[in-house]
Amino acid sequence: MSDVRESPLLSPELLAQLERLELVTRKVFRGRMKGERRSKRKGQSVEFADFRNYVAGDDLRQLDWNLYARLDKLIIKLFTEEEDLHFYTLIDASMSMDFGEPTKLEYAKQLAAALGFIGLVRADRVRIETLGQGPGERSPILRGRASMWRLLQHVSAIQPDETTSLSEGVKNFCLRNRGRGVVVFISDLMDKAGYESALRYFVSHQVDCFVIQVLSQEELEPDVKGDLKLVDCEDADVAEITVSAPLLSRYQQTLNAFTQGAQEFCTRRGMHYMLANNRMPVEELIARHLRRRGLVR
Amino acid sequence: MEPLFRNTLGPTSWLLLGMVPLGIFALYFLKLKRQPVEVPSTYLWHRVIEDLHVNSLWQRLRKSLLLLLQLLLVFLAMLALLRPGWQGQALEGQRFMFLIDKSASMSATDTKSGESRLEEAKQRVAELIDQLDSDKSAMIIAFAEQAEVVQEFTNNRRLLRESLKRIEPTAGRTNLTGALELADGFANPRRLLTEAGEFEVAENADQGVELYILSDGRFRGVEGFSLGKLQPLYLPIGSFHTRNMAITAFNTRRGDERPDQRQAFVQVSNLSEQPQKVIVELTLNGGLVDAAELEVPAGEVASVTFALLGGAEGELRVKLDIPSEFQDSLPLDNEAFAVLENRRDARVLLVTPGNMTLESALSTERTNRLANVEKISPEQLEKSEYQDQLQSDIYDLIIFDQCQPKIMPMANTLFVGRLPPLERWKNEGNSEIVFGPQIIDWERSHPLLNLLELGNVQIVDTLRTKPPLGGGVLIDSTKGPIFSIAPRDRYEDAVLGFEIVGLEQDGTRTFNTDWPRKHSFPSFWLNVLEYFTSSDGTSISTNKPNSPVEMRINNLVETLTVELPDGARREVQLEKPGRLAFHETDQLGVYRIHVAGQIEKRFAVNLFDRDESDVQLRSKQEGEDGVQVVDSLSIGYVDVAAQAPSSPVRRELWKLLLAGALVVLIFEWYIYNRRVYI
Repeated sequence: MSDVRESPLLSPELLAQLERLELVTRKVFRGRMKGERRSKRKGQSVEFADFRNYVAGDDLRQLDWNLYARLDKLIIKLFTEEEDLHFYTLIDASMSMDFGEPTKLEYAKQLAAALGFIGLVRADRVRIETLGQGPGERSPILRGRASMWRLLQHVSAIQPDETTSLSEGVKNFCLRNRGRGVVVFISDLMDKAGYESALRYFVSHQVDCFVIQVLSQEELEPDVKGDLKLVDCEDADVAEITVSAPLLSRYQQTLNAFTQGAQEFCTRRGMHYMLANNRMPVEELIARHLRRRGLVR
Repeated sequence: MEPLFRNTLGPTSWLLLGMVPLGIFALYFLKLKRQPVEVPSTYLWHRVIEDLHVNSLWQRLRKSLLLLLQLLLVFLAMLALLRPGWQGQALEGQRFMFLIDKSASMSATDTKSGESRLEEAKQRVAELIDQLDSDKSAMIIAFAEQAEVVQEFTNNRRLLRESLKRIEPTAGRTNLTGALELADGFANPRRLLTEAGEFEVAENADQGVELYILSDGRFRGVEGFSLGKLQPLYLPIGSFHTRNMAITAFNTRRGDERPDQRQAFVQVSNLSEQPQKVIVELTLNGGLVDAAELEVPAGEVASVTFALLGGAEGELRVKLDIPSEFQDSLPLDNEAFAVLENRRDARVLLVTPGNMTLESALSTERTNRLANVEKISPEQLEKSEYQDQLQSDIYDLIIFDQCQPKIMPMANTLFVGRLPPLERWKNEGNSEIVFGPQIIDWERSHPLLNLLELGNVQIVDTLRTKPPLGGGVLIDSTKGPIFSIAPRDRYEDAVLGFEIVGLEQDGTRTFNTDWPRKHSFPSFWLNVLEYFTSSDGTSISTNKPNSPVEMRINNLVETLTVELPDGARREVQLEKPGRLAFHETDQLGVYRIHVAGQIEKRFAVNLFDRDESDVQLRSKQEGEDGVQVVDSLSIGYVDVAAQAPSSPVRRELWKLLLAGALVVLIFEWYIYNRRVYI
């Protein structure tokens, strides 16, 4: 797509920086194919994992003949399997993400592309989806460095025109992707029905979940004055305000409470939470903040 | 008692103004038009609003801070319109007239601020104008020698102030009568109408006119003037202790002992309460001629005389050098000017059938400088062009030698050997010719015979010249008077009884006297020219400022240029040839008359008015304590008492209030722009 060249999601400098990184997960998941990560599955790597008794039908090549000689028992030597990792990025492409400079969605796409690239380089199964996709619509699974262009094409085709609610979108995502792995959920969490039910799906889905809340500078420090009628871009809801100093300070308090609440909610449920500002460069976010949180290494 | 408030608006205006706060209220309480702004989500905002509703009363008050400020602004503006003030002197009445004295004495700088009295008067009038309500009207008259309407009746205060600024000081004298007559014409129009049989003007029927006279009172009272509806108020300007030195007289005249010398006479008045020494400097054409120190006693005059060379001519200027500690308040009268005209372009007509001796005596260099002698024969005299000229006051002197006109010309005359054709001269014995008179005595003191020795003059025959009543005999002989002089209207006729050159019976010319061979003969004719052609040898009479100057111009031109003392030039069209009437004499100094690029004549305009120079306020002692108060003016039978030297002017707050309103406005603007932070 032409968009790719006009506004590159990933600059060459960023790519060079990302190549040195690696996605990390604290949990061990079962992969689908042979990869670079330790899997729960026992298989054929050089790393010893365990012994077990031979049962009929096992591969005789895996018998530990030394133990048979000593103990006169047929014992099979097990090795750990190295498989790939499911790496999902779920982007909230609702209309509320189409704000800010750059827009929050743009920022989210950039972040998703960067993390996806890391996954591709490390031969992980990368899949980038949006909340608006129905239970049947699946995004392609990308693997290997060669798939970078497909990844970029796919990401840049995402448009901020989805109206699915947060919990509905997350539920559909979980239904589509049965594979366990790392999920990076990029959203502004601004849903009038609340974000809690949505995040609970991730808990029950048993994935290693990173919630990155992207807020624009205008939301963090609103630069408004006068008597205004605020119109919600998604549901055309109206809030009439008269801007004053107490109103603004109250807004700050509310905003802080909101983000603190989200962080606390995530931490309690073993999810990672991070607040991102669209003014912060993606490379800084990845290299400093996400590395500290343990998503990349 | 002065009211605290003074309303400036009518009920309609107040009604309109009262709707302004209501409008502000309405704008605030009607549905506020909010500017729509699209945001990602109103999720957080709704929670904020809900939080704030808890303490909504305080929020509402905070929101209406702008409203309160705007109401305060309107309130301040209203208060300013009410014009609160105190300690003021109310302007009572509906119509006002301000008579501002702009005469010379008003240029004195004895006010507290150090400005001239005129400036103070203008200041006072400006303050009065400020108090003028919009339904009241005023007019301004400035007066000196002549009164002039600066601004007619109007209630436009801006117009009045602008007109007030246009008043310039003059060097004229004070003439209150003219100003009062002018004011009367404006204030009492109904008088004229009733005289013409018209209705009385109803609207003015019971409206008096307040007449404010702002002057220093340097004039005598006005008599025989009825004020009618004018209600005079006299605001004296100036102080009692003003000091001034003035030149009150300056002229030149021929010396008493030596007639060829001129003297400049300067009189200096000390119009203060202490004696003072001054230095009088006399300059001629800019060069210092002489200076003298004069001690002038308090309230007295002193004079000094400077000797001038006989041939001196040009512009004389005398200046007082007053020590600065004297604090002379009127610099206008410290200078005086005079014009020294040595060259007299008098025109003399010699009517003679032929007289070599007389002609040569009248054609010397000195006589040429004194006069322009034309010679004609008696036959030419009969021609009509000369007849006209003789009656038109062109010649200063006409000498009739051995002839006489039919009617006496409009000029001084000198008859030689004939009697004037007038009944008065036909005294008994005058017409007969007597022989061999011996001169007994002559009037040595008369200018005509000044410095003459006539005892050795032999005369063959002569007519007796017994003068008519009022005349005088100048030369007496054994046979009776032979030279007499007598006045005729404003001229003088001199009659010399004996011919100088006579005709014999056979028609040959012969000498009748040996006088032409004596020294006294040319001197006599010089005396004749000097005596008749210039009036008396004094400087050209001084002219008063603002009064028209009339002069004789010998050049028969129709237009000429007058250069004013400040260098400005005015083209003047002569109405009558040879007569200049010039009116624009408001400056002091020397005026030069240019004809065809050359200075033809000059004249000086001087103040020389003790009344104007005496700049102290006229005072009188009043009451038992002998407090010095300003003397009142008497106009007709009315004594106009002077108002307090500084009449209290109403102190107004509206300017402060408006400034406060402006501050509130700025504050409101600030809050509006910065209310995010308040």
